[in-house]
Amino acid sequence: MKEFNIILAGVGGQGILLAAEILGTAALKEGLNVRVGEIHGMAQRGGAVISNIRIGQKVLAPTVLEGQADVFLGFEPLETLRNLKFASEKTLIIMNEERITPTELTAKMIKYPGLREIGNKICRFTKNIVTVDAAELAKKAGNVLTENVVLIGALAATKKLPVKSESILDALRELVPAKHLDVNVKAFKFGYEFVKKGKTRF
Amino acid sequence: MPDLRVLLQDNPGKRVLLLGNEAIARGILEAGISIVTTYPGTPASEIGDSISAIAAEAGLYMEYSTNEIVATEVAGGAANCGVRALTAMKHVGLNVASDFVMTLAYAGVRGGYVIVTADDPECYSSQNEQDNRFYALLSNLPCLEPSDPQEAKDMTISAIEISEKLELPVLLRTTTRISHTRGPVVYGRLKKSNLKGEFIKDVKRLVMVPANSRPKHPVLLRSMEKAKEISETSPYNTVVLEGKNKEFGLISSSSAYNYAVEAADLLGLDADVLKLGMTHPLPEKIIGQFLKRHGKIIVVEELEPYLEMQIKAIAKDYAPNVEIYGKMIKPYFPRDGELSTRIVVTGLAKITGKKLPIDFGKIDEKFGEAARNLPPRPPILCVGCPHRASLYVMKKVAGEKAVYSTDIGCYALGAAPPLSAGDIMTCMGASIGTAEGISKVTDADTFALIGDSTFFHAGIPGLINAVYNNHKVVVAVLDNLTTAMTGHQPHPGTGTTGMHTSTEKVSIEKVAEGCGVKYVKVVDPFKVKEAEATLKEALKHSGPSVIVFRSPCALMVVRERRRKGAKIVVCKITDKCTDCMTCIKLLGCPALIFEDGKVGINEALCVACGLCASVCPYNAIECEETD
Repeated sequence: MKEFNIILAGVGGQGILLAAEILGTAALKEGLNVRVGEIHGMAQRGGAVISNIRIGQKVLAPTVLEGQADVFLGFEPLETLRNLKFASEKTLIIMNEERITPTELTAKMIKYPGLREIGNKICRFTKNIVTVDAAELAKKAGNVLTENVVLIGALAATKKLPVKSESILDALRELVPAKHLDVNVKAFKFGYEFVKKGKTRF
Repeated sequence: MPDLRVLLQDNPGKRVLLLGNEAIARGILEAGISIVTTYPGTPASEIGDSISAIAAEAGLYMEYSTNEIVATEVAGGAANCGVRALTAMKHVGLNVASDFVMTLAYAGVRGGYVIVTADDPECYSSQNEQDNRFYALLSNLPCLEPSDPQEAKDMTISAIEISEKLELPVLLRTTTRISHTRGPVVYGRLKKSNLKGEFIKDVKRLVMVPANSRPKHPVLLRSMEKAKEISETSPYNTVVLEGKNKEFGLISSSSAYNYAVEAADLLGLDADVLKLGMTHPLPEKIIGQFLKRHGKIIVVEELEPYLEMQIKAIAKDYAPNVEIYGKMIKPYFPRDGELSTRIVVTGLAKITGKKLPIDFGKIDEKFGEAARNLPPRPPILCVGCPHRASLYVMKKVAGEKAVYSTDIGCYALGAAPPLSAGDIMTCMGASIGTAEGISKVTDADTFALIGDSTFFHAGIPGLINAVYNNHKVVVAVLDNLTTAMTGHQPHPGTGTTGMHTSTEKVSIEKVAEGCGVKYVKVVDPFKVKEAEATLKEALKHSGPSVIVFRSPCALMVVRERRRKGAKIVVCKITDKCTDCMTCIKLLGCPALIFEDGKVGINEALCVACGLCASVCPYNAIECEETD
């Protein structure tokens, strides 16, 4: 492996920073070199958020180059579109189906684009798409705030990561407060099993 | 990182994934720095926050100071008693602190003192993207620039050592991509803190009256000569990569170094790379020798041509014929915005004539199609944010003709539609003085909007000026009882310190009264009718007035409710609703939705603040009081 690049894109409040920290910590646990590039502060308040993870011995820059994402966790469909420049035909996209309507669309009474339409646009970049109803699975796990961990579980199930699931779960145990751990482990499993069962591609 | 106590582990050799700012916090512990002061500001905030979380256990003193100059004064005072100190701030914070820092450079320090300036290329969370390396040149202070979290930690320790050797404060300059990048950090040994200092009286050294400061200037210049020797032998200033291609030589530092190395690799450039970690003063001999060995030099740096200017000056003495490529005469790299591997590889390809390995144009074209008409998603005021209520009330009472001079904080987001309550904003505290100038020369009702933490930081002199020179402005202090934007740090009005102890609450209204303001009122912005009546009265007042809109930050309220397990009864839209869109159009609250031709409430988001119920012309929204 020369390098492995992950993009996480979504909306402030969806737990993207924690998801990136979990994946970065898991990579470190396996002795890999890693950079996690993120933005804090003002950008977070309900705005578009992106986090970069780069794994590999020679990796220095904290941001992924256009077209070079190996996997792409789309936490929200429009935010997936917004960051497609990081994808190419080699990229695997795991996309949450939960739609968060930008306030501008609400104010202008414009309908949020259909999932099929968004899927078609993504297909022009890559055919490797897995969609997950992470909100539903997170609720089933016991807390809607665990969407991020559902998506990590889904990613782990694809076997694309250069990191073992056990390391991810170890990182989860380290980073999630003890009282929320069970729900998060469940969320990971639900995401994992959902992808294992298949039937999720466009 | 939920448990920052990992920073306290004394196990040298352990490898931990740390944010650049957390790495600086670890460096503080390994350097035995015992007093840490800060004013929060992105991208520097986590340095102070990490230390605040562990200070008591680590045996050091930490404070959130009122502003950056006070922070440097406190730390500088302690450092002059021989105690190791550090102050962290964002880049524009150094503008505030510069008055003290410029002259502290003359007086010097006895204990090591590090000033961290976190710059923000690309203005991710800032009003400008100034390059603070120029402060090093301006003040004659040494400057270190890490390129990753490991160096951020190591350089914190080196900065203290250099500071004590030269008896000068040392700047540690990061950027957003250093402060907010996580990377592996290998721990060194912890050093015991020592908070006990001794003030040694020395008028000639410490009292900077002209007779004393005049001879201190050449002393400072001599210290810079010593600093140059340190720079020449610094492990941070070395040729880190030797390539086969001796035609080109790359010189880089900080974030830019990471992009430069990866970009050169992508192009197969195989050139020597001189990495500079101590960037003031520059190692003239090392650079001079490097210039001599290459026909062409490429300088890769973010923002201003700080290195390039100086390297060109060095070239005049060492290698007058060397060609230097950068951003000064022919701009191969931009002087604005942050760099990326893409920008650097594109510049390098142009300079070297090598073919780009990636067709970026094709990616852009394809992406342009996919992202066409994509609705923007800017940061917005949170659901339940009291600022939304305050700004709504002001707009309702004073309308579009009034001028809303706003300030640095979450409420600046209210400058965007639909609230559009923000007409001018420059820097911390400027809302008040700016409003005074506007009110002096126009007939408009003039508001100064300023947050609680910002009011304490730099608002008070402006307010005193309004009283003294009788400016008719309404100062609206948007008091959400915290420093919200940067992560809910305490401030002088909160009654809590950075050490998590209780303290006196400084009352904003009493400060205003003490400044001589005759009309001072406190209102709850969610009690819309009362707030409106107060505001109308204030506008009739002949001199300056202060209205404190007080209601806690919605994020704190929600967190507290969750902790207590309280149930939130969300707002309900009844059948009186005519889908007139008034609530959505006036407030832009993300919990108000419009689906299938109907106005609705997103129950997962609503926190029952009740503002929509107050503005509905048909009384169609029901909201119960939630405690």
